[in-house]
Amino acid sequence: MNNKRSVLALVAMLLTVCFLQPTVAQRSSKSKSAINIPFETYKLPNGLNVILSVNKTTPTVAVDVWYHVGSKNEMTGRTGFAHLFEHMMFTGSGHVPYGLHDKLTEGVGGNNNGSTTNDRTNYYENVPSNYLESAIWIEADRMGWLLDTLDIAKLNAQRDIVKNERRQSYDNQPYGRVGEIFAAAMYPKDHPYSWPVIGSMTDLSAASEEDVKAFFRLYYAPNNATLAIVGDFDPVQAKTWIKKYFTDVPQGKTVERPNVPLGKLTASKRLVYEDRVQVPRLYIQWPTVGVNNNDDTALSVMGSIISGPRTARLTKALVYDSQIASQAGAFQNGDENVGQFQVVVIPSAGHSLTEIEEAVDQVIRKFINEGPTAEELQRAKAGLELGFLRGLESNLGKAEQLLDGLVFHGDAGYFATEYQKTLAVTAADVKRVAAQYLGTNRIVLSVVPKGKREMASKAAESETVSIVLGAQGGNR
Amino acid sequence: MKRYNPILALFAALVISLTSVVSLAQQTLDRTMVPAPGANPVLKVPTWTKTQLSNGATLIVSERHNLPLLTFSMTFVGGANQFEPVNKRGVASLTASMLSEGTTTKTGDQLSEALQLLGTNVGGNVGGEDGSIGFVSTSKNFEPTLALLADMMLNSTFPAEALERLRGRTLVSLTTARDQPTVVGAQVFAKVLYSDAHPYGQRATEASIKAITRDDIVAFQKAYYQPGRAIITVVGDTTALKAKAAIEKGLAAWTKGGDKPSFSYPKLPELQPAKIYLIDKPGAAQSVVNIGLPGPPRNTPDYFALQVLNTILGGQFQSRLNANIREQKGYSYGVRSNFAFGKGPGPFSAGGSIVSDKTDLALIEFMKELRGIGGERPITDEELKTAKDSLIQGLPARFASVSAVGSSITALAIQNLPDDYYQTYAKNVSAVTREDLLRVAKQYIDMGHLAIVIVGDRSKIEPTLKATNIAPITYLDIDGNPVSGGGTTSSSNQ
Repeated sequence: MNNKRSVLALVAMLLTVCFLQPTVAQRSSKSKSAINIPFETYKLPNGLNVILSVNKTTPTVAVDVWYHVGSKNEMTGRTGFAHLFEHMMFTGSGHVPYGLHDKLTEGVGGNNNGSTTNDRTNYYENVPSNYLESAIWIEADRMGWLLDTLDIAKLNAQRDIVKNERRQSYDNQPYGRVGEIFAAAMYPKDHPYSWPVIGSMTDLSAASEEDVKAFFRLYYAPNNATLAIVGDFDPVQAKTWIKKYFTDVPQGKTVERPNVPLGKLTASKRLVYEDRVQVPRLYIQWPTVGVNNNDDTALSVMGSIISGPRTARLTKALVYDSQIASQAGAFQNGDENVGQFQVVVIPSAGHSLTEIEEAVDQVIRKFINEGPTAEELQRAKAGLELGFLRGLESNLGKAEQLLDGLVFHGDAGYFATEYQKTLAVTAADVKRVAAQYLGTNRIVLSVVPKGKREMASKAAESETVSIVLGAQGGNR
Repeated sequence: MKRYNPILALFAALVISLTSVVSLAQQTLDRTMVPAPGANPVLKVPTWTKTQLSNGATLIVSERHNLPLLTFSMTFVGGANQFEPVNKRGVASLTASMLSEGTTTKTGDQLSEALQLLGTNVGGNVGGEDGSIGFVSTSKNFEPTLALLADMMLNSTFPAEALERLRGRTLVSLTTARDQPTVVGAQVFAKVLYSDAHPYGQRATEASIKAITRDDIVAFQKAYYQPGRAIITVVGDTTALKAKAAIEKGLAAWTKGGDKPSFSYPKLPELQPAKIYLIDKPGAAQSVVNIGLPGPPRNTPDYFALQVLNTILGGQFQSRLNANIREQKGYSYGVRSNFAFGKGPGPFSAGGSIVSDKTDLALIEFMKELRGIGGERPITDEELKTAKDSLIQGLPARFASVSAVGSSITALAIQNLPDDYYQTYAKNVSAVTREDLLRVAKQYIDMGHLAIVIVGDRSKIEPTLKATNIAPITYLDIDGNPVSGGGTTSSSNQ
């Protein structure tokens, strides 16, 4: 065989080109701008999207798979399922015994993990470049053959670990329940964003082996997945391996993407939650739009004008001028289909949440009336380029950037569009979104020490939250 | 390609037809075959130059031109443990924060606006044994950002009103920290191991923060930010010559002074027989567990053996502790162990957050694993190999970004390690033997003198903890002081 290798290699290269060329969707332009990631994308016949981006700086490579499924694809009564499922993906698969995955990643100086959001689930390996093939092998095996070894014992073990994750990251964390309180208050029951990613303890207990299998068959098919490989590797070789391991993973049913309505409040809501804390906090949230809406960009720019550096509106007014707050933050949180603009303030000693709320309102009202100055807008955009460049330093960061673009915007190169869109945001845009979204219909949440309900902002008009179980986020 | 030749498969596919590739691959692909790794990549340790500035500061420059950015960091050898008066703990961090509050020519707002327009931020802090100030910038903004850093470090005016604002914020953070079981656990653990008399057991308190005056801040700035103890590291899109010229010019006003402090620490308190220290947190959903004792300093000859040992015991996901307590038993979302390695006797610790009603069972497993690594469960060949591979092959990731390269190089200078440390790393790790591991495990994980600090719901966990008979229980409050009337289950160790 050895004596034929060079000829065969040539044929193989030709073949790879023939086979893959028709499905090459795009190649980024050879731009001189610093805002550039060279990449290529293509699709396998079974629907798997592939993104490759070579960067030879460090002999390491990231393999990152996104499944376009998150907690919003769950049903009520089965919340937390997408994240529980994420854990199942680390319990071994048909041809990869439990433990080998860790051995071929952290055991060779790399690492692996996964995470679940409302909108997507990701799985990744960072490995030395010479372990690329085994990482591809592992990802293909759990995409195609996870159910071969999945049983109720594995499910129960991971269920316990996820419950511990919930306890550690939410229940035992001061202010840890805020995310789920807002989700439940902002969206009607049954709305896909109304429950937290981590889910409820009750629902986690209720998940059956059959639920797990049905979920896998629908959402963990190649046609609902995108594979990104970023780092120091040979793309011709990588394509051969991708083809070798992924080609016969069977295509699944088409995943329906329901039309998700935006959050809409018909009146303002005032809530108070008593937590095991000593320092109270005020949170205000307005329903906005998701990343699929053009206003997301202007709302994000607005966030960095309202809080952040000491000259930002809210920070300056509350933390520096009146000093009634020790910290203040404001940001747009854009999910795929919905979004929220949130303000959070920690008061200084001796200042009430009622006083804080009034001061926040004053800042917001003034901002709606005036809009940002030209200087504020310029400062908010000045850090964009450096922020982008720093994101390019890590293979995984780059992979996530490309995946986010392809999965949520249909274009792995969306980072450049987003950059241009942000540069193009005008003062009038920001003024308009401030007026449009930061209205009186909003949720005001006071988190106060246990037994100190009276510390809430306008306590008499506020409703006490008694939540069951659930919370945001989730990492393996 | 040892077991399966994709080129052959592809060639065959071409001969037959394109559409039969799928079925052919199915026939030939044995998915149980673990793909063999390629040859280990050649380790590319970044090169750097090391020179002295005219004011005595050390300058290290490492060129990296793949992106138009660079990192500038100035690290000071010695930190709060060396420079803070014991009754003024917190003055170092407050001073570092005060550097952005205004200079002789710019207000705090003007500094902030100037930095925003450069798209960056100058940040600094002072830790226990070193401190730093620095930034990441695009290469074109390096010099103007450096000019702002120099202004902040040398010409700050330390306005009194800013001190009061920062003091207020710090006091709120201290209160918030008391609500965090993990923070309380770490603080009490340090106090139990080192006592108030040792810098490792001290921290900023409400009293020390309230005692700090503006004069203390001014004095700290003068004493601390001196070129004689500074290591400046520049990594990124510049050259050694250009960087040196720019820095000599940018820091021209910074004149000679200061030196590297000695790191002599007071004697450690006498080791106590193993004991459980229980801090009551009513209603807690989990118990935060920290188990350990003072360990060796970074310059111990046992460093590499301890790194391998900890990788097997609790440094990774599949290490013994996590494989057992999380993966097999499901008592936790994650447990770990660590040697902290300071200039002095940094702690060995093992622990994690444990579901309340399994606190006793988890503690039993922790003790079993600690005894196990000390000889009861011999380290296998495979464990030894995996741990060494993991450490050695993890080296390239330490050079993955300009900031990572900067801190990897700076660490050598701070710890007085040789310039070829990374080149000889693999050899040093490889040389560790199973006998070394057994010796260091016995020496540094002293089962008879472990402090077991648990923050949790006493009413839920106390009875079963007692029943384990692992160690007598002492009760502490969240500041680590004995609880009056809390009682102990045994007076023999008091």
